Amino acid sequence: MADLLVEQLSGFGLATIMARKGVSGMAIGMALGVEAPAQPAFCRGENNLALIGTGAGSWFAHTDMVSPAWHTALRDRLAELASVSDQSDGYMLIRLSGEDARTVLQRGAAIDFHPEVFAPGAAATTVIAHIGVVIWRRDDDARGRPKYEIATFRSYFDSFRRWLDHTAAAL
Amino acid sequence: MRIDCPYCGERDAQEFVYRGDASLMRPESEDGMADYVYLRDNLAGPMTEHWYHAQGCRTWIAVTRDTTTHAMLGAIFARDGVR
Repeated sequence: MADLLVEQLSGFGLATIMARKGVSGMAIGMALGVEAPAQPAFCRGENNLALIGTGAGSWFAHTDMVSPAWHTALRDRLAELASVSDQSDGYMLIRLSGEDARTVLQRGAAIDFHPEVFAPGAAATTVIAHIGVVIWRRDDDARGRPKYEIATFRSYFDSFRRWLDHTAAAL
Repeated sequence: MRIDCPYCGERDAQEFVYRGDASLMRPESEDGMADYVYLRDNLAGPMTEHWYHAQGCRTWIAVTRDTTTHAMLGAIFARDGVR
């Protein structure tokens, strides 16, 4: 019996942050009260806000519980520092957890998911089945099993889900 | 071939878009423009090229590799070095 839990997430907020020319990740992190990682990583701060490194000078801002003013508040805090674009409806989020979650990911993405390389807090932007994905690893669950979250474009979600269902069926 | 992206780490070449020789400089005048656009050295050995990491960090990088062995000799953000 495969140990895999697939959850389609809702109620989250997601926005892209792109630093203006010459603005450091440090300045962005200070403005938001959460570390803005210089490498592909998932950093969770206060106020249920996390930043995920998606490129040099670019991040995803993520919250589990979105409010109507979430993205405008983010934009106000980053005025003059970065461009903020709300993507809460542009991406779908799916969570994979359980002992077999890593196997499923490893069958889709050509990057190393070994725990020594892709530990909790790691993130990567890559492709699965030719579909662009951003993957980050949360803290393990209470039983020490890994927990990954994957963001993919809404318009590609059905195709991604098909890949996931076929791959999970083969476990 | 795997490419060492300075941001993402080692990735499959399929994630990248190839542009070509990173050493070319756009001429100031029309003289030399035809060579700039069309004339390429077909180097066998170490060469620095521009690659765009379209399926990753969406950044232009300058990759130095050996064209005969595909060995990676280094990669930097294009904005930090050769243009």
